[in-house]
Amino acid sequence: MSESNDDQVTEKILNVAKKNPKGISDKDIAAAIPGLSSAELVTAINKLLQQGLFDIYNQGGSLIYRLKSQASKQAVKGADNEEKVVYNLIEEAGNKGIWIRDIRIRSNLANTQLTKVLKSLESKKVIKAVKCVNASKKKVYMLYNLEPDRSISGGAWYQDQDFESEFVEILNRQCLRFLQQRADKIKNNPRGPIVGRTQSYATAAEVQKYITDLGISKVKLEVEDVITILNTLVYDGKAESSVYPDGSKVYRSIESLITPPGLVQVPCGVCPLIHKCCSTGLITPQECKYMSEWLEQ
Amino acid sequence: MSHQLGRIVSQILHRYFGEIVQNVGYDLFIYGSKSINMIVKTTGLPRTRIVDSLRTLLKFDLATFESTDVFVNYKLLPENILLLIRYPRYLLQMKSKYGSEAEMLVEELLQQASCSATVLIVTVMNKYKDDKEKNINMINLKDTFISLVTAGYIQQAPVAELNEGSEAPILVPVETKVPELDLRDLMQAMANNLADVKDNTYWKVNYDRFHLDFRDDLMIKAITRRIDENAGELMRLLLEQMYLTMAPWAAESCPVPAVELRESARRLADRPLLQQHVDQYLRVIEESGGEFVRRCGDAGGGQYAVCARRAAERLLEALLDHCVTERLGSKAHRIFRLIRSKKYIEEEDIQKNAMLPNKECKELTYKLLEEHFISVQPMRKAASAGGTAKAIYLYHVKIHEVAHTVREMCYRALHNVISVGAHMRQSHARLLDKQRRVRSIVHGMRVRGEPQDNIDDVLETLTPPELAAVSAAEAKLRTLAAAEIELDRALFILTCYFAYPR
Repeated sequence: MSESNDDQVTEKILNVAKKNPKGISDKDIAAAIPGLSSAELVTAINKLLQQGLFDIYNQGGSLIYRLKSQASKQAVKGADNEEKVVYNLIEEAGNKGIWIRDIRIRSNLANTQLTKVLKSLESKKVIKAVKCVNASKKKVYMLYNLEPDRSISGGAWYQDQDFESEFVEILNRQCLRFLQQRADKIKNNPRGPIVGRTQSYATAAEVQKYITDLGISKVKLEVEDVITILNTLVYDGKAESSVYPDGSKVYRSIESLITPPGLVQVPCGVCPLIHKCCSTGLITPQECKYMSEWLEQ
Repeated sequence: MSHQLGRIVSQILHRYFGEIVQNVGYDLFIYGSKSINMIVKTTGLPRTRIVDSLRTLLKFDLATFESTDVFVNYKLLPENILLLIRYPRYLLQMKSKYGSEAEMLVEELLQQASCSATVLIVTVMNKYKDDKEKNINMINLKDTFISLVTAGYIQQAPVAELNEGSEAPILVPVETKVPELDLRDLMQAMANNLADVKDNTYWKVNYDRFHLDFRDDLMIKAITRRIDENAGELMRLLLEQMYLTMAPWAAESCPVPAVELRESARRLADRPLLQQHVDQYLRVIEESGGEFVRRCGDAGGGQYAVCARRAAERLLEALLDHCVTERLGSKAHRIFRLIRSKKYIEEEDIQKNAMLPNKECKELTYKLLEEHFISVQPMRKAASAGGTAKAIYLYHVKIHEVAHTVREMCYRALHNVISVGAHMRQSHARLLDKQRRVRSIVHGMRVRGEPQDNIDDVLETLTPPELAAVSAAEAKLRTLAAAEIELDRALFILTCYFAYPR
């Protein structure tokens, strides 16, 4: 049996396996490559298994060979059994990731051994650890080339697990500006207040378009992202939201019902020491520095 | 009845009535109701003085009395004392609504506490008869008085009645009847001595009527800010309709049919837009007007009710929002409103919805909690397996309690402003006094027509540094007075809220 003949056989088997990603049995191979002796088949299969190209399963008494995916082929190169098990678990978890404790329970490995395995996989750049935004100490593992899920990364508002408050702040301000441009339409509208109010409303999609056109965001913002920003405006009391008949949410910029009340116009209303201020003692209104500064203005 | 209220009440009494009344008033405030003998014991003041101060307090409606079999007990009315600082607002309201004659009448009546119509009109007449600028006459004064009574700004004072077998009288409120004043009698009273006048009907100012005006004003302004002037005008019409059918402080008015509103809107010539779109405006007010108005039926082209209590609540919320924003910043304000809109919310959800960094959000939440703007309700899981059961902490806003907190802060601020003013007046007493003397001398000289040189000599007794100090102090006092009125406005929103039972 020559080397070239052997290669031809393995190549043929690989082709068959590629066509059937669910796996192939001995019979499939025999049907695909007629005139192949069982001894030749065994050598070829053994060789392939050695190279780690195939997984072997027992299904209903017959053996099934399944081609491993390209990535997993790389991963297990030079890996021992433990690494393979752990790798499979992580692969299964997809882009949601898997917590180290779950790996331990499901793989039945000891803690120290597991950390060693994870470290070695990590150093090979096969998997990566991602910090979960919801629980800062919780780390989840996933395959290196995957993009973490929104529930893990927190979506557009997070960069390397840090909340981007400035970004949110800027978007908040821009959204408000957009709403304010329309807000005056309701005032003395010649076509009546209902038309005026409709004109002063903006849908989330419109705001999203405006934000995208501004080009302040490197990340692509979805309508849902813009809705969360608009909701913060509602909580700020700077906008009110309503629902159109077709179910889409609309927003309108509003003003507070009253002008700033007297309490916040005097220094006492904003004084951090107001609860310690008495008629006698160290903090008194007569000696108050804030008060005298305010009166000097 | 808080400590802060006591401080501010005593401060106000001191400013308007002096030290003795302050002592008596504060004593009454602390102990609730008390008889004269007890007041003598605790204050250590002479009995006659105490009787005098009680008389003053009773006269201005700042205290009441109640007779048991043996004693007469006196009780302070702190709410009425707080009204003393609202007098400038009453006068302004009068001036803008009925002109300066009404202002003069009300001012005199506020100073007298209660007096008969003849005496009131004659006193005002005498006071201003030399004033060429005012140019008042008896007929105008009389007519103004009658229109004020008709509008309810002035009402008849309660009449004292003696019960059999008791020495202490009881004050019985009387129904106000619009008086018929004879001009000839008034003229005669003016010529003769006032003491001879036989007019036994006494009148006093009806604060409540003013407060209704203030409340309406707040609501109309709020609607104007939210929508536009036409909507504000419509709100005014709605409130007018409400007064026709309901007690003015009712939590919710009777339904007003839209037809009537359309009718009254037609009479407003300067609002073509409103006339054209009454129905649309009604709908917009109902939907985006802060729940001031509620649609409650379709009869007669739609019926609308004014929810005065909700409106008071909304206005209070706006006040609280401003307070939180200024004290803790706009991010804390966002958290505060978020919690309020979600009723009960967990800490994690606050972070998610408010879009704030974890740490900052926690810090602000705890600050809000510390300043009593929000409350926390722990929920323990009952009898769960293992000791690791975690409690859930739900944050929420108890609006009534927050209103109390803010009211205390208002009292404190008001006390501080008044006491700083008093302090400043005291420290500049000599200068202010001197300035007053110079002014009166100069005025006298001008009236006598003395030469300008002499007048200049007198004026120069105030040196430039003195003048500078006086004008600086006066500017500060003006700021303080303005702040006082503004604080009173904030307090008014709070009292409006508390006026409606929960």
